[in-house]
Amino acid sequence: MRAILIDDENSNLENLRTLLEKHCQQVTIMATAQNVSDAVDAIGKYLPHLVFLDIQMGKQTGFDVLKLLPMRNFEVIFVTAYDQYGIQAVKFAALDYLLKPIDIEELINAVNKAEYKLATQIQTSQLDFLLQQLKKPETNVGKIALQMQSEIRYVTLSEIIRCEADNTYTYFFLANSEKILVSKSLKEYADLLRPHGFLRTHQSHLVNPKYVKSWLKEDGGILLLTSGEKIPVSKPNKETVKQALQQL
Amino acid sequence: MVKRILRKTTHLLFQTLPLLFYGFSFAIIVTGLMKIKLNAMKKIIFLFLSFFISVFIVNAQKGINFFSMYAAGGKMLMNVDSSAKNVFYANVFPNQPHTSFSFLPEVHQVNIQIYFRKTDNVQNYRYTILENNKPIVVNKSINEAQLKEVDRGDEEIFRSTSFGTFPVKDKIITIITYDIQKPQDVYTTVFYGKSIPRAKIAAIGKRFIVEGGVDYKYIVDPKNKTDLILNEKDDELTIVKVKSDIDYIYAISIKDKQTGNIFFNSTVWQYGGHINEAREFSPYVKIDKSVFKKSGDYEIVIQPLIKWTGCRDCDFSPKDIEKYVSRYTLSITLEEENYTKKELLIYTLIVAFSIGLAFLTILYFIKKRNKKQLIENEQQKNIAKLQLNSIRSQLNPHFLFNALSGIQNLMNKNQIDNANKYLSKFARLTRNVLDDKELISLSQEKTLLDDYLQMEQLRFGFKYEINHSENLDLANIEIPSMLLQPFVENAVKHGISQKATDGKIIITFIKQANDLVLTVTDNGNGFDTEKKNNGLGLLLSDSRIALLNSIYKENRFTLDIQSSTNGTKISLALTDWL
Repeated sequence: MRAILIDDENSNLENLRTLLEKHCQQVTIMATAQNVSDAVDAIGKYLPHLVFLDIQMGKQTGFDVLKLLPMRNFEVIFVTAYDQYGIQAVKFAALDYLLKPIDIEELINAVNKAEYKLATQIQTSQLDFLLQQLKKPETNVGKIALQMQSEIRYVTLSEIIRCEADNTYTYFFLANSEKILVSKSLKEYADLLRPHGFLRTHQSHLVNPKYVKSWLKEDGGILLLTSGEKIPVSKPNKETVKQALQQL
Repeated sequence: MVKRILRKTTHLLFQTLPLLFYGFSFAIIVTGLMKIKLNAMKKIIFLFLSFFISVFIVNAQKGINFFSMYAAGGKMLMNVDSSAKNVFYANVFPNQPHTSFSFLPEVHQVNIQIYFRKTDNVQNYRYTILENNKPIVVNKSINEAQLKEVDRGDEEIFRSTSFGTFPVKDKIITIITYDIQKPQDVYTTVFYGKSIPRAKIAAIGKRFIVEGGVDYKYIVDPKNKTDLILNEKDDELTIVKVKSDIDYIYAISIKDKQTGNIFFNSTVWQYGGHINEAREFSPYVKIDKSVFKKSGDYEIVIQPLIKWTGCRDCDFSPKDIEKYVSRYTLSITLEEENYTKKELLIYTLIVAFSIGLAFLTILYFIKKRNKKQLIENEQQKNIAKLQLNSIRSQLNPHFLFNALSGIQNLMNKNQIDNANKYLSKFARLTRNVLDDKELISLSQEKTLLDDYLQMEQLRFGFKYEINHSENLDLANIEIPSMLLQPFVENAVKHGISQKATDGKIIITFIKQANDLVLTVTDNGNGFDTEKKNNGLGLLLSDSRIALLNSIYKENRFTLDIQSSTNGTKISLALTDWL
C-alpha cells in the first residue's frame, strides 16, 4: 500500500514511520508532508492508497488538504493528539482515527481495515460526506454514516426510530421499517447521538424522541413508540428521559 | 364560597338595571302626586283671594286671629289662635280624594267657615261635625239666613257662614259635607290638633308558594331590626301597619342602606287581609320580592305625607320632622335568586368564563411552578455534576509521575515495545481524566483499570484479576466514570504495595438481580475503617457517592468497606442499575 504521512511535527512523522515500518510492513511510505500545500502536492504526485492525516496542523487542518483535492480516491486514517474539533464529524462519517501517542494495536487494526476496504474495493464517499458535515454547525449534522458489512449507509437522523444493542453490534431501526446491523457498540452511538436529542432509555436501547408516542408507567417505565414498539426505561435513565420528554 | 362571590358579581353587574327601573317608577309616582297637589294649589290660590275680602267681614272673636286666614281644603277656611305657629294647612293625599288634612300641633282653637259660590245650591248641602270621631252635629243643612255675602272685588260674590270656634288642642275636629244630589262625593276636612303618631309596623310577612297555592308567614310586632330570609319559594312581602284613623296620610318607602337609594315607594294601603284585636282591618302594603336584588340591610321608612314646608310661620327643623318618622331595618338574606332566562344565560357564561379563566390561571401557575422546579432540579444536578467533575479530575499526581518514571525506566532498559505499550496505557488514562466524561461503559472501565493496574504492576509487581458475571453486557452498561479508580488506587497503595509479588487485587463486576455490585478486594494489611484519615481517594469517594445519590434519585449507591489484617474488601452497590 502506498502511503503518505501528513503531520506538522517532524517527531510525530518519524514516530509514525518507525511504528509502520516495524508493525505494518504492507505499508510503503511514499512521502511525508508538514504543511497543507506539500501534502496536496505529494498526494497528487504519488496517488497513495492510504493517507495518515493529522487534523490540527498549525493554523490549518488536515481537512483543508482534503478540500483542496479534486479526487479523493484513497483511504484516510486521521491522527489527532487531543482535539475535539473535527473528531465528531469524523465519527459521524464512520472514518478511522488514531490518538497520539499511537497505540500499536490500534494502528495495526486501522491499517488492516483500510487494506480490507481497498482490497474489496468498497467505493465510499465518506470523505465527501465528512467535508459536507464540516460546513454545517455541529448541532445540525442531519445525517450519519453507518458502516455496514459491505457498504456505507448515510442515514438521516430523523429517519432513525431507535437503536438496539446486540453485544458489540448495534441494530438501527429506521422509519421505513429497515433494520441495519452496524459493527459498533450502542455505547458509541449513544455518545454520538445524545447531543442530538436521542435518549438512552436502557443499556440496550437508544430512542429518537421524535418517535415517542407516550410514556407508559407500567413496570418502572416503558416508552410506547409511534411504531407500536414498547421500549423499556431503566431506573438510572428514568429521570433524564422524563425530563427530556417534558421539555419536548 | 364561589356561589357567594358569583352572586355579588352578578349583583354588581345588574344593579344599574333595576335602579333605572325603580327610578323611573318613582318618577311616575312623584309626577302623579304633583298633579294632585297642583289641583289643590288652584283651590288654595282661590281661597287665599277670598280670604282678604272675608277678613273684614267676619266678626272678631276672642283669641282667634281673624286677620290670618288659612285654607282648610274643600269649601273650608279657618282661623286659628294668634299665637299659633306651624299650621300645616290643607294637606291632600294620594288615593284620598275629597279629603283635606290640616295639622295643627300648636293650635288651641280653630274657627271654621264654609264658602259657597253663587251657583252652589246651598239647600242641598248637609254637614256633619265630629269631635274625636264622634258626631256632635249630624247631617245638618245650612241655614241660608246666616249666610253672608262676601265680595272679593271680582264679579263673583261668595256666601259664607261659620261652623263655629272649636277647641282643637289634642282633639280632632272633622267636618263632613256633601251635596244630596251627589251623596257619594263626601268631602272630609280634618283639623288635627293631636300629635300625629309615629306609624308602627304590626307585622312583616312573606308569602311563599306551596303545593296548590300560597301560604304566609309573619313576624309579628317586629323589632327595629328584623332578619328575613327569602328563598326561591318566597314571592311577596307584606308590611302590616298598626291601624290608625289617619292611615291614609302615611307613605312607606324602602331604602337600600348600602347605597342610600330609595327603590320602593307606596301610599297604597290595602285593607282586607289583616284584622287587629279590635276586629278592624289593618292597612298593609305588598312588596314584590323581586325588588330586593341582593342580600343586605334595607330600611323601611313610614312617614306622614305632611307638606312640612307648606306652613305659614314655620319653625320646624328636620329634627322635629324626624319625630313623626318611623324607621325599621330589614336585614334580608336571599337564599336563591331568581333570574330571567337571559340573565341566567349571561350568568352561566360569566361563570363558565370565570371558571375557565381560573382554571387556565391555575394551570399556568402549575406549569410555571413545574418548570421552575424542573429548572431548579436541573441546576442542582448541574452543580452536583460540576462537583463530581472536579473530584473526578483529581488523578493522583504521584501516580502520574511515577508512571512516567516507570516508562522512562523501560526506555532506558531498551524495552521499546513495553515502553510503547505503557505509554499508550498512560495516554488512555490521562485522556479519560481530561475527557471528563460523565458515563463510560463497563468495558471501558475495565480497560482503564487494566491500564492502571498494569502501570502499577510495573512499580510493585503484584497480581490482579478483573472478573465479571457472565450475563453482564460490558459494552453497553454505563457507569459514572472513574468510579472504582480511587478504590483500586487505595488497594495498591495501602493494600499490597508492601507485599510485592504476593499481593493480589481482585476486581469484580457482579450482577445481583437488578443491582450492579462492583468489588475491589486486596490481601493487604487492611486499615481502620473508622479512621477518617484514609487518604484523599477514599474521602473523595464518599462525597462522590453522596453526589451520585443526589443525581440518580431512582437508584442508590451504597459503599461497604470491610477491612481486616487479612485484607480489605470494598463493595460498591448500584441498586436497580440493570
